[in-house]
Amino acid sequence: MRIARYLLHRLAFVLPQLLGIVLVSFFLVKSIPGDPAVLMLGPTATPDAIAGLRTQMGLDQPFYVQFILYVNHLLHGDLGTSWQTTRPVLDDLIQRFPATLELVTFSLILAIAVGMGLGVVSALNPKGWVGKLTDIYGLSAGALPDFWFALVLIFVFYTLAHWAPAPLGRLDIEVIAPAQVTGFMTIDTLLAGDMQAFRSAVSHLILPVLTLGLINAGPIMKMTQSSVEKMLASDAGGYEVLCGIPQNLVARHALRNALPSIVTIISVLYGYLIGGAVLVEIVFSWGGAGQYAVQGVLNSDIYPVLGFVLFSAIFSLIVYILVDLIYVLVDPRISH
Amino acid sequence: MMSALGFFGRALLVRPRFAIGYAILTVVVLAALLAPAVAPYSPIEANSNEFLQPPSRAHLFGTDAVGMDIFSRTITAPRIDLAIAILGTLLSAIVGTTMGALVGFYSAGRGPKVWLSFAVMRAADVLQAFPIFVFAIALVAALGQSIQTVVLAIAFVNTPIYLRLVRSQVLSIRAMRYVEAAKVAGVSDITTIRRHIVPNAIAPVLAQLSVNIGWGILLTAALSFVGAGVRAPTPEWGSMIAMGFQNVVTGQWWPSVFPGLSLAITVFGFSLVGASIEMLSDPARRQTLAQAMERRNARIAADKAVKAGI
Amino acid sequence: MDTLIGAAKPSHSAVSATSADLLRTEDLRVVFPTATGQARTVLRGIDLSVKPGEVLGLVGESGAGKTTLARSILGVPPAPGRIAGGRVIFEGRNILALSEKQLRLLRGRRLAMVVPNPRGELNPTVKIGDQIATMARVHLGLDRKAARDRAFEMLKAVQIPDPERRMNAYPHELSGGMAQRAVIAIALICDPAFVISDDATSGLDVTVQAQILDLMRKLTAEHGSAMLFITRDVGITAHFCDRVAVLYDGEIVEAASRNALFLSPAHPYTLLLLAAFSHNPALRLGWSVTAAAAAPAASDACIYADRCPLAQPICRAEKPPMAELAPGHVVRCHFPVRH
Repeated sequence: MRIARYLLHRLAFVLPQLLGIVLVSFFLVKSIPGDPAVLMLGPTATPDAIAGLRTQMGLDQPFYVQFILYVNHLLHGDLGTSWQTTRPVLDDLIQRFPATLELVTFSLILAIAVGMGLGVVSALNPKGWVGKLTDIYGLSAGALPDFWFALVLIFVFYTLAHWAPAPLGRLDIEVIAPAQVTGFMTIDTLLAGDMQAFRSAVSHLILPVLTLGLINAGPIMKMTQSSVEKMLASDAGGYEVLCGIPQNLVARHALRNALPSIVTIISVLYGYLIGGAVLVEIVFSWGGAGQYAVQGVLNSDIYPVLGFVLFSAIFSLIVYILVDLIYVLVDPRISH
Repeated sequence: MMSALGFFGRALLVRPRFAIGYAILTVVVLAALLAPAVAPYSPIEANSNEFLQPPSRAHLFGTDAVGMDIFSRTITAPRIDLAIAILGTLLSAIVGTTMGALVGFYSAGRGPKVWLSFAVMRAADVLQAFPIFVFAIALVAALGQSIQTVVLAIAFVNTPIYLRLVRSQVLSIRAMRYVEAAKVAGVSDITTIRRHIVPNAIAPVLAQLSVNIGWGILLTAALSFVGAGVRAPTPEWGSMIAMGFQNVVTGQWWPSVFPGLSLAITVFGFSLVGASIEMLSDPARRQTLAQAMERRNARIAADKAVKAGI
Repeated sequence: MDTLIGAAKPSHSAVSATSADLLRTEDLRVVFPTATGQARTVLRGIDLSVKPGEVLGLVGESGAGKTTLARSILGVPPAPGRIAGGRVIFEGRNILALSEKQLRLLRGRRLAMVVPNPRGELNPTVKIGDQIATMARVHLGLDRKAARDRAFEMLKAVQIPDPERRMNAYPHELSGGMAQRAVIAIALICDPAFVISDDATSGLDVTVQAQILDLMRKLTAEHGSAMLFITRDVGITAHFCDRVAVLYDGEIVEAASRNALFLSPAHPYTLLLLAAFSHNPALRLGWSVTAAAAAPAASDACIYADRCPLAQPICRAEKPPMAELAPGHVVRCHFPVRH
């Protein structure tokens, strides 16, 4: 089948890339000073216990052997253990990655709505005030530090207005988290029928989603505006005007033709945000995967970092392959 | 040269937003240069009697939790932020451009150079698949936290951008006739690259430089925010925001808001400047600018004539 | 032969304007901005008129302003041109004074255009059948099914081979001739009163050209539409144009009935055009193209003076008015050729 062949073709390229990513991050992370054995056993450990753990973990082996051991573990589903949480990294990530994914997904939805909306309107009325506003928004969205913007939003909506909840995680403190089915707090609370928890989850999502969504709407908006403008100015766009096609239909066609570029940038943004949401996660104590990785780096806890890089890379690659697959299926000009 | 400057000046008149960008940049650079002379207080001296004072005449931006004057620290911070960002970006631009030119030049044909080009591109792919912030912070942790390593982190993260940019420029220029002619005439590869290819590929790189410096400042601030960048008490916008973090929640907004605002405005200025370079280096858009300038001149002349004639 | 040099009666307007005209342009002027910011006049006051059911041919070389004129009549001069003055009276109304929204109601419905290079102008991601049907849906208010049926009928009418398959084809899957037929279908599906054909057959094989020309003649006769048939090739106008006008550098230099133009051309430029097709050796001899002028013509000289073999000093000093040589035959020349 055509799709299966295409997927196999892409995967053949993907696997060496993944291996490369794991290798580079392994090398990088191993260079971080800090002895994992010491960190794991704590300050009261005896030198013998430390030496024993080092041998057990293979830390006295040469680098390439350690790498092979790690990959071997990977293939068996063992991503190592975090000395901070004392749990397998895989379990930690299964709990935390969906938190990041939920945040990023909702933020992206907001960014798409704002970005595409403003982009289309400004492409249709380039000289109007919407056009100028959009230009300024596009430039300033890229200039705002997301962690600072989050602070400003917290100050305005929590400290001053008391509308938003305190920036302490995904739920109110007194609310009990539902059983994890998908990891998405919004979905899981609905599945559990717990409306109070659902409302709590939504209210905690508002500020971080606003932060990430409004800032990352910039690139989407710029791409939408330029692509739609190009379509409108093209011969095909001019021809539709010549045929008396009303403005909104011309705009819809222009948008449809501009979709490939817009979808490309959305997919790039999706992959980027998994790691790029880190600072917002830290500000809101979100308990996400990026935060987990950063804490790993700062505390010489290397397996969480490796695990996160792997998860993030695999996620990006899946998104890219899915998007390319959609192009192949949808665009009539691509020959099969 | 003078005519180019004249054009540039008139361009700023018809596109005021670019003028704003250059104005912001001038203010920031002046702050970086003159801060030690201009700052009313020492940026690292803490006066614990006056902690968390709101903005007042004595302290324009107020004081932070340990009593340091925020205004002095805010205008001193560009020294560090600009230096790190500019150094890191220049480093990445030089390395990335050189590699991009070579990779683009040797991307077709046979021989070990072509294989090397292929390998470099795959390495760049791998590098760009990393989550940027985690990579930067890991690099700083691995090499030891210092200003130099932050510069290196910025350089590392940005090199692939220039690599790809210059490579694609080179690929399209290389296909043009005058390069083929040079090759047939026996000009050496290096000379060809230097004389024919690089000058034409330069313009997008210049536009990217300005925007990148802005990103570099953001990354430095982000690293300092989590404690992996510039260490306290050196004034740096990111670490200042971090120090004021808890205070914001309790209502003292000034330790974090002022540095953040300065940061945002500075990066905004760099983006505007980058956009202006892009417009000035694109001949088609230069023409649009020229028409706008002519219209403006015509309008001014018409106004003068009306005032004189009536 | 009569004397070649003689005066002609100046007449009030270019072509006799009557209220029976379906479409009439009055002193239509279009300017383009240049790199230096100056305005370059591309159309210098065009006066044309077409009666209902009439086919007016317009002949001009590349750069004369044919496409600019075609699109300006519909109110959308090619970017970055602007309409600087004049009126376009269609069915009694100056359509240039209408709002964009009102114009869109007319375009495609009462005033249609067949474009050159159709594969570059059709929407590449929409099937041909849907593009034609959209015209019927938007302008005639037909529902989806009725519009598709009507589009299918049009495809058959333009004699496209294998119309069922072509309904679902994309523009890049069509040959040049088929794409041209599709564009004709788009132009004619709403039964417009006036069709502008802008160089619709250039770039096609000669045999396909002949087919398209026959097709257009047949369809316009069937629908009763008037047509402005724009071309670079004066010979084609002999096929089915009732009247022919000659465009040189943004100005109409001559307009006459087809027979009058071919049998007794008056403007030196027209003679030059026809000489290429003529079997008359006397016409061929003595006509040579002088080097084209580099500077744009001054506003107070004949526009053709720099290239004209017959030019006299007055031609460079004074712009000739449009004068009527004979009923229905006007020419803009100080020394029109008499036969």
